Amino acid sequence: MDQRKRLSMIAMCMWIYMMFAACFFFMLQHYNAHAADINDIIFKGADYHYKGALDEAIASFQEAARLDPNNEFVHNQLGLLYAKKERNDDAFREFSTVVKIDRRNIFALLWIGILYLKQSNMDRAFETFHEITVIDPNNADAYYFIGSIYNFRRNPVKAIEYLKKARDADSDEADTHYRLGRAFHNVDMINNAYLEYNKAVELKPTYTKAINEIGWIYYNQGNYDAAISEWEKTLSINPKDEDAISNLARAYNEIAFLALSNENTAHAVAYWNKTLSIMPNNKAAQYYLKQYQK
Amino acid sequence: MERRKFLQILGKGFFVSSFSGVFPTAAFGKTAFDYALEGQNFLQNGAYHKAIEVLLKAVEMDSESDWAYGLLGRSYRALHKEAEAVDAFRKAVRLNPEDVYSRMMIEMITQKPVPRLQKETEPLTPLEIKARKEEADILASLESDEELTYKVKRVVIDAGHGGFDSGAVGRNGLKEKDVTLDLARMLHQKIENEGKIKPFLTRTDDYYVPLSDRTTIANQFQADLFISIHVNASKNRSAQGSETYYCSETASNREAARVASLENSVLKYDEPIKAKEGYIDIEEILFRFEQRLNWKESGVFASTFQKRIEEKLPLKSRGVNAANFFVLRRARMPSILLEIGFISNSDDEFRLGQRTFRQRIVDSVAWGL
Repeated sequence: MDQRKRLSMIAMCMWIYMMFAACFFFMLQHYNAHAADINDIIFKGADYHYKGALDEAIASFQEAARLDPNNEFVHNQLGLLYAKKERNDDAFREFSTVVKIDRRNIFALLWIGILYLKQSNMDRAFETFHEITVIDPNNADAYYFIGSIYNFRRNPVKAIEYLKKARDADSDEADTHYRLGRAFHNVDMINNAYLEYNKAVELKPTYTKAINEIGWIYYNQGNYDAAISEWEKTLSINPKDEDAISNLARAYNEIAFLALSNENTAHAVAYWNKTLSIMPNNKAAQYYLKQYQK
Repeated sequence: MERRKFLQILGKGFFVSSFSGVFPTAAFGKTAFDYALEGQNFLQNGAYHKAIEVLLKAVEMDSESDWAYGLLGRSYRALHKEAEAVDAFRKAVRLNPEDVYSRMMIEMITQKPVPRLQKETEPLTPLEIKARKEEADILASLESDEELTYKVKRVVIDAGHGGFDSGAVGRNGLKEKDVTLDLARMLHQKIENEGKIKPFLTRTDDYYVPLSDRTTIANQFQADLFISIHVNASKNRSAQGSETYYCSETASNREAARVASLENSVLKYDEPIKAKEGYIDIEEILFRFEQRLNWKESGVFASTFQKRIEEKLPLKSRGVNAANFFVLRRARMPSILLEIGFISNSDDEFRLGQRTFRQRIVDSVAWGL
């Protein structure tokens, strides 16, 4: 196929594709008298929303809600937009409207649960997420939040149970693997913790929280070099990561003390210098360097 | 934005795919583009099964074609195969985040329950086999309930100061660092003997541990509670008694702020994270939620410990206070700071020097746990 033919074919396909996409969307929505208007407005609102023009998106969806007060998608979008604007009461009202229209709307329920988390209302958040799992036994998000809450309450058995359900429903979420790793770590199930942290990093190579925890697994097994390598990996991703800096400072100081106890002062001094290179105000390193550096 | 413009964005996926320049060639000369085009025609004519068949070939040949994935999502959607549709739309959005239509479809479909997409299971790796065995061995032996009450199974005990940092020193030479170390060791021993909670120490001898290290150690051991033991001091030598602090964003009173500033030798707080408009960070919401829960729980622990100390010890109770302590702030678990007596007060100094009195302190704290 020559280049001109190819381009004209591409142009024709593009036209067909655009027409087709538009028709398909209209077929999906069953509105009555204002169908075309509402679809236009929803399109506009969604486009504004995804492009970050929140005020314009709100105006569009408010208009759509006026034309079709029972449109769940419209109210959910409004709720989400208000939540993004930190207008949490308005967001709550919109999501509650959806739930009044249809109690099985899990998107609205999920956001109601998240708003409860923002209010630190643990019990109501927990109840809401639990309700979602009854409606939708495959809802990875609800399981994730329930598992996370159990993690926060230091109930690793329940955390593991729910986070495993979240993982099984959607294994592509790095956060789920990380929190599951934390739950396993909390009960010394190191192989499982290691596996989950690594899966988190596999899915998201810049997941520094998981990398830091892998470092602790190595460190607690006495493998200081591997631990240091993990935390240095974190610093190569984020040079300001406070956890990695603190962890490395602890490791360097520990190695320095071990060297000192073996009468290897030069080695100890080298490691205290390493501590100061990443944490200049580390009092221990400052003090001992003054004592032992010639 | 006009609908035409919106449709142009939809078409963008097409441009990306078609102008990418590389179309892997099939055995019979058909490219991924040809298959996708064929799929589009089938879809347009309502032949959804056929559309899926060829579109799957298209994405198999060109896994970067958001256009083909978008069409595939539409085909599945037309057949009410919601799980497959969402999966295809997600792939389209992942490849082209500006695909507004696919994004909207995902949000519309997932408003209601979507059946789980069956994925092929892969054989277990040696580590996975080891992990399964570990899970079977350990998890079954652990007790659990459905309740949301906070559970303490690991506690890190922090002996304040140490090494070159003596802390406060009494008139008769009693050093805060020695009292705190002895109390921490005794408490560690007692908890270990009771066997219900696993204790850890931030220092086991007379050496200095930087402030940042102390909570780092608590995080290292995945502790459920962090107890930092200190002895108070004041220029006013008549000041005496015990008080318990916990971390809060704001100090409960001026005195609490003063004590916090005394204990905070390194003041390097995290920058408050500013909310970005137009973006909701779920992990940030969870982090804040956990932090508030921990602070609230810290307040509960602080009240409990102070009450026990009040009941068991002949020390004046100075109550519970909240302040922003560096040593407590970085902990990822409820954490409290006990100020047991005033070393600057001669009566308190005398008591703190007594082994039997120290044992009573340890018993009270252990009872509080």
